[in-house]
Amino acid sequence: MLDNQKNRYLNLVKELAISDFKLRYQGSLLGYLWSFIKPLLLFGILYLVFSVFLRFQIEHYNLYLLLGIILWTYVVDGTNGAINDLLAKSGFISRVTFPRTIIIISSTLTNFFTLILNLLVFSIFFIVSDVPFSPLIFLFILFLVELYLVVLGVGYLLSALNIKFRDLSHIWTILLQLGFWATPIVYTLNMVPVKYHFWIFLNPVARIIQYSRQVVINNTLPDLKGILGSVLLTIAIYVVGYLVYKKREPYFAEDI
Amino acid sequence: MLNTIIQVKNVSKVFKIPHEKRDTLKEMFVGLFKKRKYETFYALRDINLEINQGDFFGIIGPNGSGKSTLLKIISGILRPDRGKVVVNGSIAPFLELGVGFQPDLSARDNVYLYGAILGLTRQQINRKFKEIIDFAELGRFVDQKVKNFSSGMQVRLAFSTAIQAEADILILDEVLAVGDFSFQEKCRNFFREFKKQGKTAIYVSHQLKTITDFCDRAVLLSNGMVQMSGNSVEVVNKYIRDQVAGKNSNE
Repeated sequence: MLDNQKNRYLNLVKELAISDFKLRYQGSLLGYLWSFIKPLLLFGILYLVFSVFLRFQIEHYNLYLLLGIILWTYVVDGTNGAINDLLAKSGFISRVTFPRTIIIISSTLTNFFTLILNLLVFSIFFIVSDVPFSPLIFLFILFLVELYLVVLGVGYLLSALNIKFRDLSHIWTILLQLGFWATPIVYTLNMVPVKYHFWIFLNPVARIIQYSRQVVINNTLPDLKGILGSVLLTIAIYVVGYLVYKKREPYFAEDI
Repeated sequence: MLNTIIQVKNVSKVFKIPHEKRDTLKEMFVGLFKKRKYETFYALRDINLEINQGDFFGIIGPNGSGKSTLLKIISGILRPDRGKVVVNGSIAPFLELGVGFQPDLSARDNVYLYGAILGLTRQQINRKFKEIIDFAELGRFVDQKVKNFSSGMQVRLAFSTAIQAEADILILDEVLAVGDFSFQEKCRNFFREFKKQGKTAIYVSHQLKTITDFCDRAVLLSNGMVQMSGNSVEVVNKYIRDQVAGKNSNE
């Protein structure tokens, strides 16, 4: 019986993901290709500005920049997707009972799938470059799991609160824009005076992106205390988001 | 031996209607130090019901009497403010003339999505797909977007999908209201078949004839309270008397 229930919910996650996917790209000529074009265009213009015009002298700057942009794009699309997809399912929420968490899980997983495909594009850049492949790259999987949990937790939190306070989605758009420049994406952490590192690392995504670049591109092990701190912060964000979502869930049908 | 499948105990539901809407941050901020005034509206007041396995149970009452709210609480979509609902079985709800189809998806995609919400897998729907579309009489439109469907077509599609879910209890809110004559006939046949199989249904409708035709028992709601419950013919008669009397006293 319990297994039956689990299969039922897995099936629902799958079907929601399929329909989200169809809705998102329907009627557009390039369809799914847009998920590659957007980060690549952003990469192109930023590379031009910072590497060619401003002449940043950083080895493998293209890899740093592209990896940072791809990971950050997931944060943006994953959290905004959670906010929008919950609202888009208002018809179901007010008419059918099923665990509401499935909406957010399926939404964030669809975007995670796009992240993986974008990472395949990154791997082409990676293979073409002369950066050696290091065994440390397996730590990258840990950071990807962390990133997923952060996005899921924030997605839970924001989508649940946004049902009642619709300003939140606008505020979040601004915060994401600020976050893009407050996170080592365009620049590297070395360029930031040490006294600011504490502030930068308040953002959980900053650590994840920084460490990912270290293991994938620099082939260096990030400091273990930092990794532990980042894992704990990730879990905390996930738990808080989940609890808030669960607390608000019974009122979705009334408030939406 | 009658088994109680749904038990509604002392259920009340209050909707708070704020005098001023305070949905944006600015309004919240401005109103932070003002005490907020609510008007409380009792959608349901101390409702008690018992529905037995195999019942075809009708709910009637004027608009705004709490019928839909009661269905939503039984389905578990809304939470009662007081009291509780005990349900011994799975429920397939069919509420508010539809099921919340995604307007931009085709009928086919919507059937799979809605089926999944009701607990059907892709394989199960594959097997039943033809039956669903035939019942809804939408064969030619199966790959059209649902937003281009008329409301009658949407209800037909929703209903024919909903009845495929093998739930113990079917909740039906105004299924017959917008379907055309031939579809209504089909629904009636389905109801007869459904009753024969001894399954449980809760049925809300303003078509009192279908209530007396199919429901053994019924309840009359008015202003969120149970006015009368019992034999469906008696309850319908009381409702008609009340409505006529109400009209006369208003004049």
